[in-house]
Amino acid sequence: MRISTGELKRTRAERRGRILLTGGTGFLGSHLAAELLRSGYRIFLLARPLKQQRADERVAKILDWFGIEPEVRRNLQVVEGTIEKPGLGLDGDTLSDCLENTFEVIHCASNTGFAERKRPEVEAANIEGLGNVLEFASRSNCVFFHHLSTAYVAGRREGLCREELVDADDFTNVYEETKARGERLVSDHCRAAGIRLNIYRPSIVYGDSRTGRSLLFNALYYPVKTAVFLKDLYAADILKRGGRKAAAMGVRRESDGSLYLPIRLEVESAEGINLIPIDHLVAAFTAILDDSLEGGIFHVVNARQTAMGDLIDYTRRLFNIRGIEPCRPEDFGARPRNALEILFNNYLEAYGPYMRDKRTFAMDNARGILAKRRITCPAFDLEIFSRCMNYAVEVDWGARLFGGA
Amino acid sequence: MCKIDYLGTGLCPSGPERHFVAYYPQGRMDICDALAGELIPVTEGLLDIADTCTLCGICDRQCHFYTGMRPMTVMRALKDYVAAWRAEGGRATATAEDEVLKELRKIVGREWATNDPAILVTYANDPFPLAAMRMPKYVVLPGSRTDVESIVRLANDRTLPFAIRGNGGSVFGFVFTDGIVLDMNRMRKMEIDPDNWSADVEPGVTSFDLQREAHRRGLRVNAAEPAATVCGNIVCTGTFSTWSNVYGTAADNFLDMEFVDREGGAFHLNDKSIANHFGFERDVLPSPGICTRGLVKLHPMTGDEEGVLVPFADFDEAARFARDLGQRRIGLAVAVLGAHYIANFMSPSKELAARLKQSLPEVLGCEYMVFAVGDRYAREAIKRMAGAVIDQGLFRMLMLGLPRLLDPRWVDLIREYEGTMRPYELLCKSEMRPLLEAVLEPSAETIAEAVDEDLRDFYAALYERPEMTDMVWLNMFRIVSSRMSREKHMLAFLVYVPLDHIDVIKGINEEFRRIADAEGLDNDYGFLTPMDFGKRAILEYDYYIDQTDPAEAAKIARVMRKIGPWLDDLAAKTKGVQWLKYVFSQGCSRKESFLYESLESPLRKEGAPR
Repeated sequence: MRISTGELKRTRAERRGRILLTGGTGFLGSHLAAELLRSGYRIFLLARPLKQQRADERVAKILDWFGIEPEVRRNLQVVEGTIEKPGLGLDGDTLSDCLENTFEVIHCASNTGFAERKRPEVEAANIEGLGNVLEFASRSNCVFFHHLSTAYVAGRREGLCREELVDADDFTNVYEETKARGERLVSDHCRAAGIRLNIYRPSIVYGDSRTGRSLLFNALYYPVKTAVFLKDLYAADILKRGGRKAAAMGVRRESDGSLYLPIRLEVESAEGINLIPIDHLVAAFTAILDDSLEGGIFHVVNARQTAMGDLIDYTRRLFNIRGIEPCRPEDFGARPRNALEILFNNYLEAYGPYMRDKRTFAMDNARGILAKRRITCPAFDLEIFSRCMNYAVEVDWGARLFGGA
Repeated sequence: MCKIDYLGTGLCPSGPERHFVAYYPQGRMDICDALAGELIPVTEGLLDIADTCTLCGICDRQCHFYTGMRPMTVMRALKDYVAAWRAEGGRATATAEDEVLKELRKIVGREWATNDPAILVTYANDPFPLAAMRMPKYVVLPGSRTDVESIVRLANDRTLPFAIRGNGGSVFGFVFTDGIVLDMNRMRKMEIDPDNWSADVEPGVTSFDLQREAHRRGLRVNAAEPAATVCGNIVCTGTFSTWSNVYGTAADNFLDMEFVDREGGAFHLNDKSIANHFGFERDVLPSPGICTRGLVKLHPMTGDEEGVLVPFADFDEAARFARDLGQRRIGLAVAVLGAHYIANFMSPSKELAARLKQSLPEVLGCEYMVFAVGDRYAREAIKRMAGAVIDQGLFRMLMLGLPRLLDPRWVDLIREYEGTMRPYELLCKSEMRPLLEAVLEPSAETIAEAVDEDLRDFYAALYERPEMTDMVWLNMFRIVSSRMSREKHMLAFLVYVPLDHIDVIKGINEEFRRIADAEGLDNDYGFLTPMDFGKRAILEYDYYIDQTDPAEAAKIARVMRKIGPWLDDLAAKTKGVQWLKYVFSQGCSRKESFLYESLESPLRKEGAPR
């Protein structure tokens, strides 16, 4: 190893070493960056320019969203680059500075695309991009590599998934596959380079359970957002245009003021999905970072899955929608799918494996650390659902996140 | 475009009466520019040109449709300028009639020949950035072949150079002269002979006008851009379009053509005693002469033709599909279109076009589409071959609902869709139509929301007409093709390519892109149409420049110096590659003579004179 645990502890305690963090403009990365900055860590935050915005402008907007104070931001240096290029696409002086002064790397950047058609871009980020970060880490003074992975590297299987490297070769999608390949890659590389390694494996992450705030509105949010979009669309048709299009689709306004959307979802009511809030992930990550000095693999998951029936029920209650019902595949035979059902079920097809998950996740490594600090993952109930979805609606599912029109 | 009534709004009233370009909105714009640059004085002709503008507003609607511009501001400025000039007691400059003009007027009649600078200046320039302005001495409008013969002889007698303009227009800087410009605008006779499957047209007949006449009779012509003249386009480029998939190009398009040669004598191409103009020589050659008549082929239409678009995520798949259609002889018009073309064809404003162009690949996952027109059997085959297709009904829905299709909430929903199907595959499913109907609210009023408020009623009425969303009609009349120059002036590079070597075609696209990017020029893929049963194809790649910016002209000059040698070298090494530059003015040749290698001439081998 490049450093003793004692020296590692001391350097961290004195906040002497800098952390290079990738994916800092993403959902997980930005939350970790905000927390680490508040804890006094000094960070090189790797970010790309996007459209007309420079990297530092993008980061500044996100830090504003977090309410990070100016004095805290002094510990942050935004470096404009990309994991998809060797040397992280950094210019000469910046690269030298980063190589010289990076003490730890937190790698959050990832492409979360599921569809096979996205394989080239997913591999570019999750395999080639990771390779570039590892190559950077080897050349730098990095002593500890923190790799954000996923609980679903376990692949298509049933039963207990342990906190160890997996040898699966059957995956639900390209995301799982590349993340599993990535773990092997990062493990081999760090071992060879004498760099300590923590692998963090969260399940599906949503917004802050305490405030409802979020920067990203996909995964759990998408089907809800779609339902709300359809509700608004057909409510406007009924109220403003006589409701001809709503009637053609079998959509109607009920006497209690709710809107009836005839949507049969191809899910079992009792089937569940493993959800963790971002605040839990951040708390778990920092605890593991502090405590796991020798390195390890950690599942950051919820001990209690959320039943699909509950999710449907929360959506109905919060948004005053009727008609969305779980349905078995064979029940579609009698009446073919309508457009709304095609839209939903095609999407759910991609998320299906996570909704009828037969995998359970060992939490021995993580539990030991989290229990010491009394960190527990909250159950996803109506209250949290409402908090998160109300925030989503407030910011128009992200469109008004940074004060946009 | 202001010389054809492509929107059914009528034409600028003075244009069809006086025929000179100066009496159309296009000419009045040039005159304003020339006045602002103090290139011309206020002449008698200029006063008449300003006075004959009635400020009727036709030009505003016509021009906005394809450029997004509002020329009425300029028309008003011209009239205001003339009114102020008169109020100040200005006296118009009269240009003296010299001997040549007298002779010309003897040939064509007094009103059809002029040396008035206000009229001359409208024939002195075009948007091509590498051609300098050249003022002709005279502009003449012949009314017949004998007029043309006499003018040519007069020009030869007086050793005056001359240039021909089919319909007064010019875009490539080729038709300038210091001598006489012959504008064929008055020669507009056209006669359809259904039994001979032909149209006998004079050189002032435009593609739009001929197509309209043919269409009335249930027939079709392989037409160029709507404002291009039929004869001029055949002679210059051989006329190609998406219909060239089945109708071919060059000599495939006509039965016979009549010309006046450089000495002022007439001949026609089917005369066995003349030089062989059906052959091709890989060189920049002059045209056979001045075309005075064309006997153009007409084709039958079946009542069940409709257009379809087949979306693809990448060029290879799309090109293979188009080739497959050509080889299997499925469909009539066929082309691989990129997001840039599709977006501009569909969008009545450049803002909407820009958003659609971005959304097609980013949101819908479709970078290219194969466009095809076919009868019901062909369309059925295409659907079975492709799976997801945008049929005429869906196309109409998408076009009329375009502002809603690009509504940010809907776009976000589709962008984040992670389903197993591509987003466009999902939208193409017939079961999705009721939902799309609700989301898009497709109607003439909806699409009209994309334009300036004062034009919305006009656009709503326009889009009520079924042909404005009919892929077959739009592709026959090509009225939306001109929108490609809406943002900037377009320079089109056309290359015949071997369709069995898609790698070669991709290489050409990449090189065009590389050369333009290196200079910072806007550029984009244009289209690819299979020809001759999918063996060959014509490829268009476009550069976009601000023709008023000298820096962009300099860039174009530099890229032209790179493109010529590169394409010449590629053509020498690759069978089936042929740059249109060499076909130019040899448009009457057989396509086989430039798409394939010919036998080597024994005469040429021995160095005998040609």
